[in-house]
Parts: sequence; C-alpha cells; structure tokens
Amino acid sequence: MNTFELLGQGLIAALQVQNLLYALIGVTLGTAVGVLPGIGPALTVALLLPVTYNLDPAGSLIMFAGIYYGGMYGGSTTSILLNTPGESASIVTALEGNKMARQGRGGPALATAAIGSFIAGLIATLGLAFVAPFVVKFALSFGPADYFALMVLAFITVSAAFGDSPLRGLTALFIGLGLGIIGIDQQTGQTRLAFGILDLLDGIEVTTLAVALFAIGETLKTAADREQVEASVMAVKGSVWMTLDDWKRSWGSWLRGTFIGFPIGAMPAGGADIASFLSYSAEKSFAKKPEEFGHGAIEGVAGPEAANNASAAGTLVPLLTLGLPTTATAAIMLAGFQQFGLQPGPLLFANNSSLVWALIASLLVANFMLLVLNLPLIGLWVKLLTIPKPWLYAGILTFATLGTLGANGAMSMGFGSMRISFELVLLLVFGVLGYLLRRFGYPIAPVVVGLILGPMAEQQLRRALSISQGDPAVLFHSPISLVLYAVAIIAVVLPIIMRMRGKGAVLGQLASDED
Amino acid sequence: MSAGQSNSTRRPDGAALVIAVILAAISIIIFWQTSQMRVPPIQQRVGPTVFPYIVASGLGLLALGTLVSALRNGFPARSKDDYAPIAWIVGGLVAQILLLSTAGFSVATGVLFALTAKGFGRGPLWQTIPIGIVFSFIVWFIFARGLQLSLPQGPVERFIVTGSF
Amino acid sequence: MNKLLLAALVSGALSMPAFAADYTILAPAAPGGGWDQTARTMQEAFTAEGISGNVQVTNVPGAGGTIGLAQFANQDAGNPNALIVGGYVMVGAILTNMSPVTLADVTPIARLTGEAVAIVVPAASDIQTLDDLVAKLKENTGAVSWAGGSAGGVDHITAGLIAKTIGVDPTQVNYIAYSGGGEALAAILGGQVTVGISGISEFASQIEAGELRLLAVSSEERVPGVDGPTLKESGIDLAVENWRMVAAAPGITPEQKAAITADVKALATSASWQTALETKGWVDTYLDGEAFDAQLAADIAATETILKDIGLVQ
Repeated sequence: MNTFELLGQGLIAALQVQNLLYALIGVTLGTAVGVLPGIGPALTVALLLPVTYNLDPAGSLIMFAGIYYGGMYGGSTTSILLNTPGESASIVTALEGNKMARQGRGGPALATAAIGSFIAGLIATLGLAFVAPFVVKFALSFGPADYFALMVLAFITVSAAFGDSPLRGLTALFIGLGLGIIGIDQQTGQTRLAFGILDLLDGIEVTTLAVALFAIGETLKTAADREQVEASVMAVKGSVWMTLDDWKRSWGSWLRGTFIGFPIGAMPAGGADIASFLSYSAEKSFAKKPEEFGHGAIEGVAGPEAANNASAAGTLVPLLTLGLPTTATAAIMLAGFQQFGLQPGPLLFANNSSLVWALIASLLVANFMLLVLNLPLIGLWVKLLTIPKPWLYAGILTFATLGTLGANGAMSMGFGSMRISFELVLLLVFGVLGYLLRRFGYPIAPVVVGLILGPMAEQQLRRALSISQGDPAVLFHSPISLVLYAVAIIAVVLPIIMRMRGKGAVLGQLASDED
Repeated sequence: MSAGQSNSTRRPDGAALVIAVILAAISIIIFWQTSQMRVPPIQQRVGPTVFPYIVASGLGLLALGTLVSALRNGFPARSKDDYAPIAWIVGGLVAQILLLSTAGFSVATGVLFALTAKGFGRGPLWQTIPIGIVFSFIVWFIFARGLQLSLPQGPVERFIVTGSF
Repeated sequence: MNKLLLAALVSGALSMPAFAADYTILAPAAPGGGWDQTARTMQEAFTAEGISGNVQVTNVPGAGGTIGLAQFANQDAGNPNALIVGGYVMVGAILTNMSPVTLADVTPIARLTGEAVAIVVPAASDIQTLDDLVAKLKENTGAVSWAGGSAGGVDHITAGLIAKTIGVDPTQVNYIAYSGGGEALAAILGGQVTVGISGISEFASQIEAGELRLLAVSSEERVPGVDGPTLKESGIDLAVENWRMVAAAPGITPEQKAAITADVKALATSASWQTALETKGWVDTYLDGEAFDAQLAADIAATETILKDIGLVQ
C-alpha cells in the first residue's frame, strides 16, 4: 500500500463522529490548560495524558493529538494578550503580539497565530507523513560542530530582540549566560556556581525564569505604574478580524516560519524555542517595514507562531522514525505510546503502521479542530483584557505559582518544621529582577535566550573539540556549519547595509521606543 | 534609588552606577568561584572553567560600559514608580512561600491572591482573602485531584476532601 | 467548554479512593524515567497484591537522585512507611556531587532489578568485534570517542573500567556526555562518535533493526533475547550492572526494617510484579539482607576507586 492509501485509511478512521468528538475534547482541554500562564505544553501533556487512558487506542491517540496541539497553541494566547508566555517558545510571540494587543489589535494577532499554527501544522504534518525518512537523515547528519554553528547563528539573531540599546541588550544576554553556568557541568560532572545549594545542582529551570521575568515582572511593573493601573484597556480597536493588509503581510511569514520550524524541530538538539528565535529574526530581515518591529509588527507574530507549531510536528519525526524523544514533551509522549505497546523506533512504521497512520491522521484532524475552535473564540479571548486588573493579575500569579509548584516545586528547603519550596523563592527573586530590568530599560527576552542557548553552545563546542581531540579545524569542517556561518555573517552585514542606505531613518524610529 | 529624574544637568545617574557596581560584583564572584574549581585531569581541551571565565569577562566589560553610560546619562528616562503596590505583591509571594507547607495550597495562594489585588488597589483584605481562598481551592481541586498534580495540601484541603483534618 | 473540562476532572476525582496512605514511595527523578517507572510499578503491584492499601508516589528530581535522597533522609527519618527508589547511578552521583547525604544515611532494603550496559557501534563502523575496539584503544585511547549518559554515571564508569581492565590510562578515555533520552543515540547513529555505551534497553530496537552493531554487554551472563557476548566472554574480566533498589528511612527499628523487607520480598515474588518486569523488559535481580549490604558496599568501594582513576573525584 502506498503512503496516500495508508493516510487515507487513517483519515477514515479519524473522521468517525466519535473520534471527531474525542479530537474536540482533546483540543478544548489542551487549550484550556495550555492557556494558563506558567503551564507550558510539556506540563499540559503530562497532566492530561491520563485522561486518554480509558479510551480505545484510536480514540486515545486522537484525543492525545488534540491535547498536544491545543497545549502548543494555548500558550500563545496569554503571551499575546497578557505578555506572560508560559514557556520559552512563545517568548518571541509576546514581543510583537503584546504590542499589537496594547494597540487594540489583539484580535488580528490571535488570528494570525491561529491560522499560522494551522497552516504550519498542516504542512509539517504532511511533511511528517511523506518526507520523514529524508528529514531524519538530514537531522542526524548534524554533529556537535554543526550545532555549535547553529547556536552562533541563533546568538546573532538574538540581537534582533535587543531593542534600542546594544549595551543593555548584551547585558541582559550575559545575565542569562551567567545563569546558564549554574549547576553540574555535563561533561565533567563538576559543580559550578551552586554555592553549596543542592537545588542549584541541576541548574536554573528555563520555565521558572521565563514565567518569573515575564508574568511576575510584568505584574510588578504594571502595579507600580499608577497610570497603567487606572488606564482602561481598549480590547478591540478597529476590526477583531485580520484586514486584507494583515493577510498580505502574514502569509509569507507563515510559510517561512514553517520551513524554519519543521527541520529544526526534527533535530535532536533543535527545539521549538530556537526555531522561533530564528524565525523572528528572519521576519525582521525580510520585512518591508522593519521599523515596525518592536511596535507590533504582525510578521513577528505570524512567523514565530508558525515555526513553533511546525517544530512541534518536526519533533515527531525522530520520535516516530527512530524512537528518539528530543524534547520533554516528546519524552512524555513516548510514555503515552507505550501504553498501547507501541515501541517507537526504526521498526515502528513496519510493525504498527496502522496506528502510526491513525496518529498522523489524528494530528491533521486535531489541527483542523484547533482552528475551528479558536477562530470563533478570539472575540472571547480578547475580553480577558477587560477583566478588572486586580482580579486579572491576582489570577495570573495564582497560575504562575501553580505551574512552578507543579512542575518543580518540591519543598526542599526548611527551617525547623517549616518547609519551603526553593523553586518559588527563585520565582520571586527573578520576578523582582524582571521588574528592575523593565524599570531600567533592559530587554527581557535576551536573558531567557542566554539561559537556553548558553549551555547548549558550550556543551556542543566542548563535544566537538573533544571528539576532534582539540583540533579547532573541526568547527569549519562540514558544509552544514559553513552554510550556517555564512548565513550568520549575512545576518550581521545585511542590516548594516540597509541602515546605511536608509540614512538612519530606522534608527530614528527605534530611538523613540519607550519600552 | 532616586526615582526623581532631574537629569537635565550633567549629574551622573545614581541608579545606573549601582547597576554597574552589581555587574562588576557578579563578574568578580564568577571569577572567584571558577578559580576555586577543581579541574579534573580528563581529556578536555576546553575544560569546565573556560566558559565561566568568558562570561565573567563579558560582564566585567559590560560593567565598564554601564559606568560610562551612567556618567553620560545614557539611560532612558524612567517612569515615576510607586513602591507600595510592589511591597504588597512581593509580600504576597513571600507569604505564600512561608505558608504553603503548613496552611496548604488554598490558604497560602489565597493570601497571595488577596495581597496582589490589594497591590492593584482592591480591598479590603477581609473580603478578598476569602475570595482568594475559594478561588485557589477550586484551582487546587481541579489540578491536584482531577489532574494529579502534586500540590501541597493543608487542613482546608484535607477537611473538604476527606471530611476530617 | 468549562463544563466539559469539569466533567472530565470530577469523574477523575471521584474515582480515587480517599483512605490514608500505607507506603509513600519517593522517586528521586522526573516522571517517566527509570526510577519513576520503578516506583510506579511498585505502587501498582503493592495495591494489586493487597500488600498495602494505598500507595503514594512523589517525584523529587535532580542531580542523579541526590536531591531526592537528601530530602528523604531529612524529612522522613524514623518513618516506617516511607520508601525511596534508587540505583547505581546514585552511587556515582553522591561521589561526584560531594553530596552531604549518602546511602549510609538511609536503610537500604533490597535490590530489585538490573540492566546490562551495552557497547555498540553504528552499522557502518569498521569496528566488528570488541577485540577491534580494544586494539584501537590500545593504539590511541583518545581517538576513540564514547557517547553515553551524564559524566560519572554508570556508562562513564563502565567505559573507565574497560580501559583500566585492558591496561590503558582511564583518564585518557574520551568520554562525551549527553543528556539522557535520544541525544546520545542520535550522535551514535549519525556517526559523530566512535562507540556508544548505555543501558541495553536504550539500544535494543536499533540493534534489532540492524542500525547498530552490539559489541558486548556488561552483565555476568548473556542478556536473553539479545545476540551479543558478555565482556567476560570477549576476554575482559569485568561485570557491571546498573541495578535499581529500594531503601527505607533512616532511624527505623530492626523490627520495622524486617517488616518492610518482608513486604518488599512479597512484592518482588508476586505475580503482578513478575508480569510487569516481563512487559517492561527488566531483569529480576532481587537480593536482600546481608548479601545485598555486602554487594552495595563492594559497589560503592569499586565506584569510588574508578571515579578517582578517571579523575572525576579526588
């Protein structure tokens, strides 16, 4: 049987009324839990997986697919509306999306995120069905030196999120890099900067830092500013839907985001966060009006959101073809598959082809359900902004602390009989840091990016040099790394040329940026 | 920190100077801690200390840059922030941390909820704390009972769920 | 929408029994890992066999289990209902992390399962047998790169022990640590490293598919269902096993210890446990009492020596 027939059979199974209902429930639950600040896709999937246990394998898989895509998508809603991303992959979405929401354009921002996620999910799921074996070969050919080149490229693109001051942008990045050193060094097992605190041995959790800097920092900054507390929010200005101009500006970004996200998601050391960073900077370079970036450019939402979702499907490539879980979410999914006796691995397609195709078909159906569910709800979501601020922010802090406690909140420290959760202490400290950074005009995103990329870059560089027994030529050995360095150089040089030709018009715009 | 901004004169920016000092201090701490590390004699061309030294050097340079920027008043104008709401919210987070193990999730988070609302000007606490506790209990019930998330329970949760303390 | 959510949640909540817990099992790892699965399998078997009415599992992940171990030793001292799952990885982690709490601070009860470490090469590699690998190591130790789990873990220790046994300098072993899951496997399949070393279950499906070639397994005897010689058969006098164990709280009385040991023994010999072992592919290596204490002491001593030889511990 060829691929089309197999996929067709899967779709027929997935399209039964009962299965469609499961998909709808899955998408609804996934979105409802994923939308809470502080609860990212990994925790959403882990929490909701048991809900699927009581169904038959096909129904369970399809509900699971719905939860997965719902959880991936849910996080972007609060990023856009409340500037409180629940996980690292929606940080970039918050950069432009929240600016749009503040201008009363939250509706179009949510719409471009939903449609972009749908298109990316559709293309990437089809990619999973048809080109997975080739993509996985490409992904496996990435050695440590190539990953290091990818990190270098990602570091350069971070500067796209620096805002108006390279000094403060770099400072924010280095604070993140400094935090990334904390903990046990993977290559030698030696402890670095842990100051004898056991809880620091595993390093700083990215989610804790992101939730603290964004959700808690944002709450403190808003509360401290009388004008912001009293300002009434205009939830919708103009249309709640995307205008023709929005469509024109979004579709290219959706496609670019998809083609960046899918292969990077498939790489064993890639991931949705890196894909979203790269997509953001690509959008900034390709934009017709780069001066709008930092002020609510719709491309900056459309691209990263598409990349984020495409990479979610990309993650399934190594999982289904090789049995390699490359993200926390994928590791939890692996546990989910094992309940049906499915053993992901090279023989999965051969041994369990009907279930695999049912899963792929389920993903397509879930993806469609997500769009059906979310487009009509956008009008409702933007109403979140009209909740009175005291209750809104009290709720945000409730869920931010809940997510942190649930994911990592062991009561590991104590004074006498009283136990306290070290992770919550970190949340508080970083929350205050987030406020101070905002107050003094430092950008937030580079701190989190530094924490994510720093350790990866260091480990990959050291692995590469260890394998080559210290010969630095290994870094420029493979064509992949050479291409990546070339792109990095273009990314540095191109804006300088553009700026020189633009005679400082762009800089003038950026200088007027207040936050 | 002087929040008042009369920076039209050439007086250096006090807060920015403090930031420069903090950055320098972090840089020194990383240098010092890394120099105390024992480097194992394993096959390692780039050992575990190289990267910390690079970061520490970078922070040192950035401290210098911040110093220059502070002297030149290079920081953006700051809004006039009100510190009372911050104290309420930070107080709420501290109260939650301290109360969690003894009072349980609902009470501790209810206090956080009420103090945060207070920070945004909504009170009085004798009304908002019960609202917060009820809200937090509903959240606790959904996540801890329904979704098996491990959240600390206290007397309130035990009483409502099992009927005894 | 909220109604649906609530309906699902309430039905989940109501289906849970509400009586007090008998045993609490601490899994010092994140949900999904080996120790977590061991703890949850114990939970199921304990209740299924009626040994314990209600068993709670809590996860305290981090630092090779030492964070969970420290919390267990401090918080549960004297509690005859508290158990912790652990394993060989903990022995190395306690030494490399200079953990203030060690296995001497808890009451080890029994070893439950064991897993052999497998040494593999990609199918395209020119290394055909373990002898080829040994020859390469003797020629230039550093030129052979090993991919495996975290530094100081069982994989690293086994690589160091192999080097030591064949007479090359263990500090020269070029060990590349990867975080668990698929990253090491990807590096091996992609031909980025010379050999891979990790638990046999990580590689089993790739070996079966012919993507990886198994050079040897580290256990005393061949692993059932896997076609590959042991290290000893290949002329390296060495046996290492990544075992998992269960321990009780410090400060319990000998009677309490005996009661727990009896319960654990009843668990290990029960039909539910044996069935679970089979489906999960775990090997039963149950050992308790003085024999287990002796084996534990020997393993700790050997681990300390090799970690010093490799240079990870002073």
